[in-house]
Amino acid sequence: MSEPVMARAVQGAPRGRAAPAALAASALLALAMGLFANTVEAAKNDDAAKTIYSQTSDKASRSLLIDVVHAGPRLVAVGDRGHILFSDDQGSTWTQARVPSRSLLTAVKFVDDKHGWAVGHDAQILSTDDGGATWNKQFEDLTREAPLLDVWFENTQHGIAIGAYGAALETTDGGKHWQDIGDRLDNQDGYHLNGIAAVKDAGLFIVGEQGSMFRSSDNGQTWETVQGPYEGTLFGVIGTSQANTLLAYGLRGNLYRSTDFGTSWDKIALQGVRGPLEFGLYGATLLDDGSLVLVGNGGTVLRSSDDGVSFAVVNRADRLALSAVSGLADGNLIVVGQGGEHAATATGAERAQP
Amino acid sequence: MTSRESISMNQQHHQDKATLLERLIFNNRPVVIGICLLVSIFLFWQATLIRPSTSFEKMIPLEHPFIQNMLEHRNDLANLGNTVRISVESTNGDIFSKEYMETLRQIHDEVFYIPGVDRSGLKSLWSPSVRWTEVTEEGFAGGEVIPQTYNGSPDSLEDLRNNVLKSGQVGRLVANNFKSSIIDIPLLESYPDPQDQGKQIKLDYQAFSHQLEEKIRDKFEAQNPNVQIHIVGFAKKVGDLIDGLMMVAMFFGIALVITWILLYWFTWCIRSTIAVLITTLVAVVWQLGLMHAVGFGLDPYSMLVPFLIFAIGISHGVQKINGIALQSSDAENALTAARRTFRQLFLPGMIAILADAVGFITLLIIDIGVIRELAIGASIGVAVIVFTNLILLPVAISYVGISKKAIERSKKDATREHPFWRLLSNFASAKVAPVSIVLALLAFGGGLWYSQNLKIGDLDQGAPELRPDSRYNNDNSFIISNYSTSSDVLVVMVKTKSEGCSVYPTMAPIDELMWKMENTPGVQSAISLVTVSKQMIKGLNEGNLKWETLSRNPEVLNSSISRADGLYNGDCSLAPVLIFLNDHKAETLDRAVNAVQEFAKEHNTEDLQFLLAAGNAGIEAATNDVIKSAELTILILVYICVGVMCMITFRSFAATLCIVLPLVLTSVLGNALMAYMGIGVKVATLPVVALGVGIGVDYGIYIYSRLESFLRAGMPLQEAYYQTLRSTGKAVLFTGLCLAIGVCTWIFSAIKFQADMGLMLTFMLLWNMFGALWLLPALARFLIKPEKLAGKQGGSIFAH
Repeated sequence: MSEPVMARAVQGAPRGRAAPAALAASALLALAMGLFANTVEAAKNDDAAKTIYSQTSDKASRSLLIDVVHAGPRLVAVGDRGHILFSDDQGSTWTQARVPSRSLLTAVKFVDDKHGWAVGHDAQILSTDDGGATWNKQFEDLTREAPLLDVWFENTQHGIAIGAYGAALETTDGGKHWQDIGDRLDNQDGYHLNGIAAVKDAGLFIVGEQGSMFRSSDNGQTWETVQGPYEGTLFGVIGTSQANTLLAYGLRGNLYRSTDFGTSWDKIALQGVRGPLEFGLYGATLLDDGSLVLVGNGGTVLRSSDDGVSFAVVNRADRLALSAVSGLADGNLIVVGQGGEHAATATGAERAQP
Repeated sequence: MTSRESISMNQQHHQDKATLLERLIFNNRPVVIGICLLVSIFLFWQATLIRPSTSFEKMIPLEHPFIQNMLEHRNDLANLGNTVRISVESTNGDIFSKEYMETLRQIHDEVFYIPGVDRSGLKSLWSPSVRWTEVTEEGFAGGEVIPQTYNGSPDSLEDLRNNVLKSGQVGRLVANNFKSSIIDIPLLESYPDPQDQGKQIKLDYQAFSHQLEEKIRDKFEAQNPNVQIHIVGFAKKVGDLIDGLMMVAMFFGIALVITWILLYWFTWCIRSTIAVLITTLVAVVWQLGLMHAVGFGLDPYSMLVPFLIFAIGISHGVQKINGIALQSSDAENALTAARRTFRQLFLPGMIAILADAVGFITLLIIDIGVIRELAIGASIGVAVIVFTNLILLPVAISYVGISKKAIERSKKDATREHPFWRLLSNFASAKVAPVSIVLALLAFGGGLWYSQNLKIGDLDQGAPELRPDSRYNNDNSFIISNYSTSSDVLVVMVKTKSEGCSVYPTMAPIDELMWKMENTPGVQSAISLVTVSKQMIKGLNEGNLKWETLSRNPEVLNSSISRADGLYNGDCSLAPVLIFLNDHKAETLDRAVNAVQEFAKEHNTEDLQFLLAAGNAGIEAATNDVIKSAELTILILVYICVGVMCMITFRSFAATLCIVLPLVLTSVLGNALMAYMGIGVKVATLPVVALGVGIGVDYGIYIYSRLESFLRAGMPLQEAYYQTLRSTGKAVLFTGLCLAIGVCTWIFSAIKFQADMGLMLTFMLLWNMFGALWLLPALARFLIKPEKLAGKQGGSIFAH
């Protein structure tokens, strides 16, 4: 019934392991690129002259959003076309921020209610110091042809951004300068680094493609490769409220828990309506009461009140793919993904917008 | 009654001079009949060969830049082709039931064997080609949505539900509410003959549409009471349209019967009634035969020409019979009466027909094939009437004569007092005329003000050709509301150099255009190769939403469009952007078109061009554009032509104003009526202006020519008008009724635009008649000085 097709196509195209047809076409494309090289240069110069901002649109909160976090009481969400939205009324109404980007933004982090960073495609890093209302572009690298996928900040000065093909960047001056630290990780195949998180009393943890895992006990100065429990891709990692404890999650409902900073792992069984849950999991959040909520494909929302040992599963009726989740003051949830932001109850089910 | 006698004397005087034409015709009556018979036989044979034709190209303005762009790239837009979609709705629960799936399977199989179906492209949940895919640790996994192991058990139905969710078909093959699913049927314009594989059969839309009704809708709705079937698609629409045309033939019969009754009431003579009907039918046969001879088919527009010809023919026939009956009272035999009538009426008849033809000819300036054919067909038709009703009819009457009873009646009529006409003659009185003029001015101003609400284009949802509540449009709205698609598509063609469609500098602007359009009011969504590319890139990255965007990596981008079949052409130099609109109202189209043009202005370069437009909304936008620019031109042209005709006929500016001003009022009120009824200015209603004015001027010409002759005899205006009404008032009234009856049956047509045309023409023809009877004398009161005309021979060509 289930038959594997295009095995390992996942890593194919980007690394030149493309199918013959694609190769033939790419020869033509190389030619085309040559022709377009000048225009690309010209466009870059224009960019320098006048910054292109994201467009204000009524549909911004209804189009693809990837991440949602708190900046103090405020909610900040990032997504497609450089859209950054913020809400001061628990997600009832959203305002579009002024953002010098039109790229898909993939992650956002705040260290306090003012200072935050967002990362995205074209290896962009954006920063705000007014709680997400206005943003500056700190970093961009079009030549990478690859996105940054997650970002972590220790304080207003020190932070790390990670991304595709093993990209890792660090700043120690609040983002004025970014330094490539990719070679601190033993990642010779250049696997995508999908998620980075701090684990209580332990250090930093990174997960990525092909089940790759890395940990650092010294705030990212040195990294140790961890032998993971899973060979499929992991999309993210989150520290729980307990010391040394973390969850790593990925493809097809794969969810693992470690209480020893990744040395050993337990697989968490997830039960769908019929049989094991097989939807990919993309985002997670730790609520104030220590509960953990995860979201993913097929409208999946998981919630645990026992520090991630077991989860209750809800599949939202619209089945839209979800990418991130955040808690609200009243105990309800806000989820984002396909179709923008959606209101959810504490369990993740549909909730009518107030 | 001295004045009247002097007129009879006067008429008697110049009725004795026989023109060359008259002698030629009436001295060779058997030859005339013989020739007409031969021509009729030939043209009847031709007329039987005429077929409904629904050429797509004739319906659109071929010279418009949008259409030129579309035709230039037509081969690259092949995917936007000819499909029919059958939505099978479960009225009892959702589609995941054994019975529903079984019915769906049977329908799928039945459709497979309908001739003309492109079997390889047939798609439903039961097609092996409809698959689900999923990313696993090993890469992609996939399978048929309905696996081989499916057996209808609750477990396999649950599998099916999950497969559907994973297949991405929700909103496409499966309704958003899971209560219906679609069978997608691509059609072949021509297909091999099953008997003789070498021969190609052209798809017969009507037969195909009937097969869908019988073999699918009727059969399966009867078989499984829990399903309802909805069918949409170009072929179904055309099939319904052709069926609608057949209904129009029935209307012709109805109009014929009503006219017969009216005609008999008018003449009280069965012989002349039959003579008029037959000669008019001969005119219709000739017109149809000539249409086929010059290579035209019957399309939904030219279908209406026979009605017009019939109505115009009858009205001229009535004038003739009226004349002959009057003449018969003092002529020794039918032949003399016919000759005298011919002499008296041939010229005004010719003038009226010329006016009609001129009105029709102005339609030629509209750059749309069907309208041009309508113009040519109608012009041919009125030319035919010259032969049949102005020549053949008097000749025929000269043989059969008019019944004694009818002659008695017309004799009595000519001498007795008519209180009704006496009352109407007050319109010419010094007291009533100013009131009439003020009322007319108020109506004019009000009409002008209200017609500001008049819209360009089609205003209803769904297929504009059919009625909003037709089955097709109900089916259409069912599909629109339950699936993520719309039936109004505007296609922007993005043109690049060869192999240029899949590079970032092309795709990024396309992406931007799509977002701009999605933010334009009236736009639902947009699809292009960028849509597919983003999904594919996401798929290549394990379905991670963080990758759902264009890549700057040329190889990734290039391979990402490999599954975007039909969204780019063979050498990757053209990529259509499909923009789905809420509706096809003119404002919606204008907004969308303006947004695209604005974007194109900013982004067009030598290597990258955003070209409008294809898709039904693109065609409609182009059509609206043509109509908007032709609307005023047509109106001005028609009035200039009619005005010139009147000037030539009456050699008087005042007379021309008397005849034309009532028509202007009718045109303005007609526009206001359209605004009130929610009928837009469109391909179907534009000709009505020209037809209405062209035909409407007849009344004015008939009335004014009589009025003038009585004024010349020295009568005061009101008395002259009374005499005019007494002699021709009944004929004018009858003519108006005949014409209105001929066209008002269209109001019941299943084809929306025919109904609109029928309504507008009925209004224009009746109101033009009313205007001629009411306003013409009032205007004459102010513009014409009877004392100046009295006793003069004058310049009018009617004054011999």
